[in-house]
Amino acid sequence: MKSLKKLIFFWKARSVSGKMAIIVLVLLITTAIFAPVLTNLPHQRSSGPALEPPGRPHIMGTDQLGIDIWSMIAYGARVSLAVGLGTSLLAGFGGGMVGMLSGWKGGRTDKLIQRLIDIMLALPELPAMIVIAAFFGSSLSNIIIVLALFSWSRPARILRSATLSLKEQPYIKMAAHYGAGTGYIIRKHLIPELFPLLIINMIRLSSMAIVTEASLAFIGLGDPASRSWGLIIHHAVNFQGIFMTSFWKWWLLFPWLFLTLLVTSLALLGRDLESLADPRMLR
Amino acid sequence: MGKKLEYLITFLVILSLNFGLPRMMPGDPFLYISGDDNDIPVEYSREQIEYYREYYGMDQPIYKQYGGYISDLARGDLGFSYTHREKVSRLIINRLPWTFLLVASSMLLSLFLGIGLGTYSAWKRNQWKDSLLYSLIMILSEIPAFLIGLALLVIFAAGLDWFPLSGAKTHFAVYASNWQHGMDIAKHAVLPVITLTIARTGGIYLMVRNSLATVLTKDFMRTARAKGLKEHRIRYVHALRNALLPLITRIAMQLGGLVGGAVLVENVFSYPGLGTLMTTAVAYRDYPLLQGIFLAIGTTVVLANLCADMLYQKADPRIGQGVQRK
Repeated sequence: MKSLKKLIFFWKARSVSGKMAIIVLVLLITTAIFAPVLTNLPHQRSSGPALEPPGRPHIMGTDQLGIDIWSMIAYGARVSLAVGLGTSLLAGFGGGMVGMLSGWKGGRTDKLIQRLIDIMLALPELPAMIVIAAFFGSSLSNIIIVLALFSWSRPARILRSATLSLKEQPYIKMAAHYGAGTGYIIRKHLIPELFPLLIINMIRLSSMAIVTEASLAFIGLGDPASRSWGLIIHHAVNFQGIFMTSFWKWWLLFPWLFLTLLVTSLALLGRDLESLADPRMLR
Repeated sequence: MGKKLEYLITFLVILSLNFGLPRMMPGDPFLYISGDDNDIPVEYSREQIEYYREYYGMDQPIYKQYGGYISDLARGDLGFSYTHREKVSRLIINRLPWTFLLVASSMLLSLFLGIGLGTYSAWKRNQWKDSLLYSLIMILSEIPAFLIGLALLVIFAAGLDWFPLSGAKTHFAVYASNWQHGMDIAKHAVLPVITLTIARTGGIYLMVRNSLATVLTKDFMRTARAKGLKEHRIRYVHALRNALLPLITRIAMQLGGLVGGAVLVENVFSYPGLGTLMTTAVAYRDYPLLQGIFLAIGTTVVLANLCADMLYQKADPRIGQGVQRK
C-alpha cells in the first residue's frame, strides 16, 4: 500500500515529457518480455514471401528473406533491453564504485583514477569500439563488455565529485572519526545517499549503450545471431536500390521508429529525473 | 606539464591498443571466421593467414615486434592493406579531405547556430519562446546522428529528390567550370553536414544558454549597465565574450564524438570519407587498414584536445603561467 502511494507520488511529480517517456518505455519493455505472446511468426527464418508490404499476417511487412518484421522488432527489443541493462549495470556500478572510492580515499589513489578517467574521456569511443569489436568478434556479450569498458568513466567522474561534497558532511566525518572503514562508509552512507544520482546515470548509460549497439550493428558489427534493430536497419540500407523502391516504407521505417522512440524516451526520462538528484537543477 | 603528459599517455594507450589487439585475439587470430549471414562471408584462405602472420611478425619476440611497430610508425608507414593492395597511409590521405570537409563545416555551422540560438534563449529566458526552443533542441539532440541522417535521406533525397542519395560527387561528371564542380560537391555534402550539425548544436546551445545565464548575474554586468553602455554592447561584448570561453575546451572534447558521428553518417550517405573506408575494412576484416584509420582518428582527436588546452590558457587571463599548476 505504502509503495503504491509512493509510486503515485513519483508519477505525479513527473513532467509531461517524463510521463510520456515512462509510458513508451513500459510498452517497449512489455514488448520485449512478451515477444513470444505478441507474435507467433518466427523472427529468424522466413515465414512468407520476401518484401511483402504490411498487411495480414505480416502487420509490418517482411524483409528480403521473407522474415516477419514485427517479429524481428519484438524480439529485437530484447537485444536492446539486454544491452542497455547489461551495460548500465556493469558500467554504472563499476564506475560508480570507482568514483566513490576515488573521492573518498583521495590522495594518490584519487590522482591515479582521475588520470585514467581523463584518458578514457579523451579516446574517440566509437572508432575504438569498432576496432575492438572487429578484432574480438561482435557477439552480444562482447559488445556489452566493450561498451562497459568505454563508458564507466562518466559515472565515475560524476559520483566522485558528489562524494567529495558529501565527504564534508558532519555525520560522515563523525562516522569516519569513530573508526568506520572505507567499505562501511561506502555501503552505509555513500551508496544510499548517492543512489538516485547513480540511477540517473544508469539511465543515461543505457540510452548511450543502446545507441552504440545500434550504431555498431548498423555498420555491420552486430551479433548475427541476435537480430537487433540496428541490424535490421543495416540490412535494409545495404539492400541495393532500396530507395528506388517503396520497401523502405516498412523495412526501414519501423525499426527506425522503434529505436528513435526508445532512445528519446530514455533521454527524456533521464532529464526529467535530474531534479530528483539535485533540486537546484530544476529550471 | 600535467595536461601534456596526460595527452602523451593517451596517445601511448592508442598506440598500444593498436599494437596489442591483433596479438591479444583469442585462439588463432586469423582462423577466426566472422561476418554476417548475407554479407561477405569472411574466411581467410591459407595464403592470407600466412600473409598476416608474417605481416605482424608474430614469429618474433614481443619486444622486437613492438620496436618494429614503433619504428615503422615513426617513418610514417601505417602498413599495407591486403584488400585494397595499397599502402594504408595512401588510402587514408585520399579519403581524409572528405571527412574533414564534413567535420569542419558541421562544426562551424553548429557553432554559429548554437551560439546564436543559445544567446537568443538566454535573453528570452523563461519566456515561452525560450522553453519551446529548449524542448525542441533537447529532443532533436537526443536522437542519434545516424537516425537523423536516415530520416533526412528518406525525406529529402529519396522522397523529394532535392539532393543526391549517395556519394560526394556525381560519377563520371565532366564539369564546365570550377564553380559547377564546387556546386556539385556542395550539393552532395548538404545532407550529411546538416545531419551532423543537428546532432552537435544541442550541446553548444545548452552550454551557451547556461553560461550566459551565470554571466548575466555577475557584478561586472551591473557595472556595464551603470556605465550606460548600449544594450548590444553589453550583450555581445561583455556578456557573450565571457560566456564563450568554456566553449573552446568543449568543442575539442566534442571532437571525438563528432568524428564518431561522422563515421556513421558517412555510411548513411555512402560518403567516401574515412567512415566508409572503415566499414569496408570491417566487412573484409582488413586489420591493418582498420588500425591505421583508428590511429589517424585517435591522434587527431588527442592533438585537437592539446591545442584547445593551450588556446584556453592563452584566451583566459585568469589562468596565468603557473597559476593552474597543481
